[in-house]
Amino acid sequence: MAVNRLFIANRGEIALRIVRAAQGLNAETVVGISDADRGSAAAKLADRALVLGPGPAAKSYLDPRLVVHAAKAAGCDALHPGYGFLSERAILPRLCAEHGIAFVGPEPDMIDALGDKLQARAMAKAAGVPLVPGSEEIASAADARREADRIGYPVLLKASAGGGGRGMVIANNAEEVEAGFHKASAEALAAFNDGRLFMERFVPQARHVEVQLMGDGSGKVVHFGERDCSVQRRYQKLVEEAPCTAMPDRVRKQLHKAAVALASSVQYRNAGTAEFLYDVAREEVYFIEVNARIQVEHPVSEMITGFDLVQEQIRIAGGSPLSATQDKVRVTGHAIECRINAEDVGRGFIPVPGRITGWHVPQGDGIRLDSHMSEGAIIPPFYDSMIGKLIVHGSDRADAVAKLTDALDQFRVEGVPTTIGLHRAIVRHPDFIENRIHTRWLEQVLLADGAPQE
Amino acid sequence: MSGPKTNGAALADIEALIADFQASGMRELHVRAGDVEIYLSTDASAPGLGAQAVAVRVEPIVPASAAPTATPELAAVPTAAPCDLPDNAVIVRAPYLGTFYRAPKPGSPVYVDVGSVVTADTEMCLVEVMKLFTAVRAGLSGTVHAILATDGAMVEADQPLFAVIPG
Repeated sequence: MAVNRLFIANRGEIALRIVRAAQGLNAETVVGISDADRGSAAAKLADRALVLGPGPAAKSYLDPRLVVHAAKAAGCDALHPGYGFLSERAILPRLCAEHGIAFVGPEPDMIDALGDKLQARAMAKAAGVPLVPGSEEIASAADARREADRIGYPVLLKASAGGGGRGMVIANNAEEVEAGFHKASAEALAAFNDGRLFMERFVPQARHVEVQLMGDGSGKVVHFGERDCSVQRRYQKLVEEAPCTAMPDRVRKQLHKAAVALASSVQYRNAGTAEFLYDVAREEVYFIEVNARIQVEHPVSEMITGFDLVQEQIRIAGGSPLSATQDKVRVTGHAIECRINAEDVGRGFIPVPGRITGWHVPQGDGIRLDSHMSEGAIIPPFYDSMIGKLIVHGSDRADAVAKLTDALDQFRVEGVPTTIGLHRAIVRHPDFIENRIHTRWLEQVLLADGAPQE
Repeated sequence: MSGPKTNGAALADIEALIADFQASGMRELHVRAGDVEIYLSTDASAPGLGAQAVAVRVEPIVPASAAPTATPELAAVPTAAPCDLPDNAVIVRAPYLGTFYRAPKPGSPVYVDVGSVVTADTEMCLVEVMKLFTAVRAGLSGTVHAILATDGAMVEADQPLFAVIPG
């Protein structure tokens, strides 16, 4: 049964993106907003906007009961959680199920299982997916030392409940691993109320690659190629591209196969992303985790395959089968996305809320801008600083980099500082042009001597 | 007209409404029926009926609980009006616009209170904007004399947060 009326439990560019996707499927749209987002683009474009609560997210976007009651009250038959906020909180699909609302995403038990990194690793192992050489749960500092000796230094201590780099410590020797155990455990306990840790071999020159997956919930899984998201700052992605051209075909095939095997083995439903580390020196990929949601960087996969992944999500939630078999998914050209944030790069990337007073966007063949901003739009202080995603599609990587460079030069935003200048520096750097980057490249090379000047 | 009966019925309705409200998990409920108006909230500090809705503006952002931009000191705890501050008091200010938190997380003890002895490195509060949390340090040794902003409220860049007496 196709979705008739979709509730969008998110804000910003993704709320707008979901409204547009739903309208393309002739579904009605209701967006739940906070008081601070009354004037937002999604609120204006949706058929209806319901104010969930005041600006602070805890009292609006992060309150699952409020969200589901609003969806129910508006007569919605499906709910899309977007990314961030409640998108990977199992309570949201559980409440949806209680109220007869289809959740656009995986089952709650799957979200819980994948959200626990130790469980996710066990699933991957069972499906024959290569893991970073590492440990099971580590119980003590002595245990940590023993495991590190076995795995080989440097090692990375990670929180089982972790995310966003919290509860993560790199250790180069026995002293550091014991001190690191206590530090990571305390951090994990404070951040996630769960101090459990495990350990992985630390790969110094790693690329972050991930596979976009879509499952029908009965074991059929199609992948939409891989993305390379190696330009990061403090584990936050800034630039994403597809495909990953830094990897031989043999490894790419192995990567796709591993991701599909994992999702298929657990009968994964809806959109998900399997994340891997690519050890460039060893030419090996290792599983990291599965993100059980649509991701910020999904547009690069759409650009190279021609599929609308958000529409596909909504169709699957409405009970439709996958719209394509694997042989129908063809990769054409190369796509790159830049996350544009309202941040002051020169002042430690401080997010800057405010009003957009000038919005001059690049236009042209192969340029896509996913943004909820416009002249006069407000960036409230309560949420994240992303004001848009600039995506380009070229015939190959060099063509995409050239298009992106032009597009960034045309893009002018007034009223708040943005990361556009940083992106201009990234795309002009020889390491980026020649694709010699890794996950710590931005911090160790480009930002090593402070923020680049425009 | 049997006033008492009507009132009794209305009272029963209100009791039923409160029970439904508690069971619903909603945070706030505002109902108007005829000339009866009721506002229910699980938040003891909710503004209640008659209060203005909190409007969100940017430039400058002044929450209902804070004072106008011109006199940010008035956002202070009432007992610590600026005129009460000793001449030697040093003001610790917000690094940027954001939300002022006196404790590391809800329910935890506050970092400092009036009378706390601090050193330059003592963390006094958190200011958060768009998920970026910054610990504000005292920057000097002394004793906290006054807390000049409200926990959980929006503060502006350079808004006074604490008055510290050096020593």
